[in-house]
Amino acid sequence: MSKLTVKICMGTTCFVMGASDLQDLQELIPERFGDDVEVTGVTCLDYCSSCSESQAPYVMVGEEVVNKATVEKVMEIIDGKLKNGQE
Amino acid sequence: MFIDINCAQEKKYNQNTYGDYFLSRRYPDTGTLIAVLSDGLGSGIKANILATMTATMLLKFVEAGADIKTACEVIMNSLPVCQVRKISYSTFSVAHCSEDGEVRIVEEGNPQFVYISDGVVVEPEFTVIDSDTFKNRHMHIYKLQLKLGDRLIFCSDGVTQAGLGSPDLKLGLRRSGLIKYLLEKIKENPDVSSSELSKFVVRAALNTEPDRKAKDDTSCCVIYYREPRRALIFTGPPYHQEKDSEYAHEFFNSKAKKAICGGTTANLISRELNIPVRCNNVRSVGKLPAVSQMDGVDLVTEGILTLTKTVEYLENGFNESEKNAAYDLMQFLLSSDCIEFMVGAKLNQAHYDPNLPIEIEIRKNIIKKMAKILEDKYIKRVTVRYI
Repeated sequence: MSKLTVKICMGTTCFVMGASDLQDLQELIPERFGDDVEVTGVTCLDYCSSCSESQAPYVMVGEEVVNKATVEKVMEIIDGKLKNGQE
Repeated sequence: MFIDINCAQEKKYNQNTYGDYFLSRRYPDTGTLIAVLSDGLGSGIKANILATMTATMLLKFVEAGADIKTACEVIMNSLPVCQVRKISYSTFSVAHCSEDGEVRIVEEGNPQFVYISDGVVVEPEFTVIDSDTFKNRHMHIYKLQLKLGDRLIFCSDGVTQAGLGSPDLKLGLRRSGLIKYLLEKIKENPDVSSSELSKFVVRAALNTEPDRKAKDDTSCCVIYYREPRRALIFTGPPYHQEKDSEYAHEFFNSKAKKAICGGTTANLISRELNIPVRCNNVRSVGKLPAVSQMDGVDLVTEGILTLTKTVEYLENGFNESEKNAAYDLMQFLLSSDCIEFMVGAKLNQAHYDPNLPIEIEIRKNIIKKMAKILEDKYIKRVTVRYI
């Protein structure tokens, strides 16, 4: 099973809409999932400009786009993916 | 050539304010610069007012189109004399410099400036104009042609008279002592900036005093002709997407120091040039997203929030506990002489969503404001290109 990647958008809209609250994921994810999941920032996922109504902040968990992301929501999705053996 | 100018000052010991006043303004349209150093009679507030008035009047005069010689002559003939001490209210030095190296200097009462070319002091010729109204006043006029690497050093008498009356230097540091320090420093570091050299001179003057306390207001202004340090900032995606590649290559091939401000802009350059952006730190620093890294680019930051904060720092100074991306950008800008902004005109609609908890400024307006501060307050040469 390859490593699951979590990408947190650090662009302007996402940062203002709450990505700054997602920074705890950098510690929480390794604590809970160890080396199975890798967390990284990205300069911009570019979803804010492509959707008519912004659902920022955005996080990518594997290939899945998580909108209006919160720490709980992201952790839940990672959990689900690892349980199902996806990615 | 770029004219690197800076002035370092120390006020007289026990005084609250400086009795010397330095003023300089750059005129990008004509490629010229005017600098004035004035030494007011006495020290403290009185001297400060006299020096400020003299320097400001001179600058305004020349700005209004008066010939530097005429402006200085009018000031020289009209400056009053102190009733008690029977000496002039203030002395001054004015330099009108052109980027092609032509410099006109007028001195009245200040110590003679030092002209250093190829590590050697040059003693240029001058003409003397006597005052019509005061027989002990006369000004020296110089016309010089400087070349790359040349320097002019202006001082108030606080420097040349430093240490006066001390056992080792009965007559003070004098111009000869100043020259010795200058030549040593330039030999040690031939590319020393005006900022560093002027601070060095003031420090050296203070060290000459037995108790290291300034006996008089001490100022040193350095003018240095050198190659400009260029910086290029790319912020915002271009209006016409089909030109992304062209602009990305232009940016990357520039010899200037480079910064990218904006996540979409960083992605665009990364995509067009196939260079990855690394964003290892998701933890925000000082309420701003952390900087990212890209090979070949000196600084990569988030866009609008960082730019807005940088303007704030440039305007009011940096007084926060954590050095964030805006601090890095400010340092990047201040360590350059010629700054070019490539400003993409495409708007991100999401930035203007009324649901956003804060108001996001339009990029064009922030850059306009930043450019003005950099030009007016920091004497940088700034160009803004909308793409």
